[in-house]
Amino acid sequence: MSGGAALVHDLRFTLEAVWKVLLASLVLGAGLPAIFALGIRSLAWGAGGEARASEGQPGHAPGNRAGRVIAGVLFAIVLYGVASGILFIIASGQGKDISFAHVVPTIHG
Amino acid sequence: MSAETLALVLVIVTALGFDFTNGFHDTGNAMATSIATGALRPTIAVALSAVLNLAGAFLSVAVALTVTNAVVHVQQSDGTPNPDLVSGGGRGLMMIVLAGLIGAIVWNLLTWLLGLPSSSSHALFGGLIGSTIASLGWSGVNWVGDGSKLDGVVGKVILPAVLSPVVAGLVAAVGTWLIYRLVVGVAARFTQNGFRWGQVGTASLVSLAHGTSDAQKTMGVITLALIASGHWHSTTSIPLWVKLVCALAIATGTYVGGWRVIRTLGKGLVEIESPQGMAAEASSAAVILASSHLGFALSTTHVATGSILGTGLGRPGAEVRWGVAGRMVVGWLLTLPAAAVVGALMWAIGHVCGTTGGPVADFVILLALATAMYLRSRRNAVGAHNVNDDWHGMPQVAPPEFVTGGVS
Repeated sequence: MSGGAALVHDLRFTLEAVWKVLLASLVLGAGLPAIFALGIRSLAWGAGGEARASEGQPGHAPGNRAGRVIAGVLFAIVLYGVASGILFIIASGQGKDISFAHVVPTIHG
Repeated sequence: MSAETLALVLVIVTALGFDFTNGFHDTGNAMATSIATGALRPTIAVALSAVLNLAGAFLSVAVALTVTNAVVHVQQSDGTPNPDLVSGGGRGLMMIVLAGLIGAIVWNLLTWLLGLPSSSSHALFGGLIGSTIASLGWSGVNWVGDGSKLDGVVGKVILPAVLSPVVAGLVAAVGTWLIYRLVVGVAARFTQNGFRWGQVGTASLVSLAHGTSDAQKTMGVITLALIASGHWHSTTSIPLWVKLVCALAIATGTYVGGWRVIRTLGKGLVEIESPQGMAAEASSAAVILASSHLGFALSTTHVATGSILGTGLGRPGAEVRWGVAGRMVVGWLLTLPAAAVVGALMWAIGHVCGTTGGPVADFVILLALATAMYLRSRRNAVGAHNVNDDWHGMPQVAPPEFVTGGVS
């Protein structure tokens, strides 16, 4: 194949890969931190009192059990995401997940 | 010691030297934000990162033997060296690899001295491209691959380098913006503590991923040299001792900590708060993992820098120092050609000096340059004690009298 045609292929493969990377990264890299932030907000809601002092109820907001439960669920989702990330690192380190030879990842046993 | 053995030993030592600079150049990619926000004490941060890099290096049993194939034609597709480069104990291949590694190390040290984060993989590729051109000519370089997959200098180096910081920056900016929106009105007591935990967790992920991907490159290079010299024959496994020394080299480098680079990333580019630190490292981890899953080769450094920049854009009112960012971009543009020039020069010098003298001459030049740059760094040393000092500009490494040749 000529260099020019190969260059066009490189560009096309790159564009195909980039939007997938962007999409996955937005979900994992921005979505999970947002869920984490919601968890912190729920935690503060659950604690009540001065935790939400800047919301205009200094020291008087009541604690809330639901807040702590919701926070727990949200943090669990984030932990699940992080654990998946670690598993992925381990799997690819063992050569069991991806092959760099193809844009569509080839799974190796 | 025969000339062949001597060349092999020098290649291995130089490869480990590269691995070491790879470690300390990249500590900041994972830990700069945690250090800048005070989530971790500087010495604790580098120790944590070192341990995770060590663990990551051991996790990678996959063989990265074909690492050079992305950019040059010195190996066959199964990982064995090209037959015409292995005569005489692999002399031809040894010189290319040694010169390429020296080009990479010199560029890594220079950018470290200047406090610039720059990609160690680009430096390695650049050095190898230069020494290959000097040895085999332009056709020895794999410019665009064969069109069947993302390959070559364009597909594996240039395109990812242009796109990955943009993707990482975008993700980090969105993440930062969301986080700040979601915690409006929550007491600082909760946000500070919570996001510090998040920061340390995400930074740890980046460190682990770094150890897995980057230590492999040096393991591949050393194993290639062992095959070329007839000391190893398998293309599906690497010697245990190679894995061991490479893991230790990158972890030691990480622990020593490239404080000048950490300072630029943590304090120079953007003033970072804990939520931004978490957004930046989460973006870095996600982009690195997603792209390695999709076979899109990218540099941890470009991703981390893009993320930190993005987190400055995502927080309303945050200051981004575009001058610092501009210097980094210039550094990135220069990485490949600069390392290539040094690699080519080293190959030429080695070629002139002959079979025994060549590798020795190259190695002595490397030691001299490394020592000079180390000594220069002592004049305005950056370390754990001053890494978080207020930012007053990039480290001054070339005072006027230095440039004009005067003695200071």
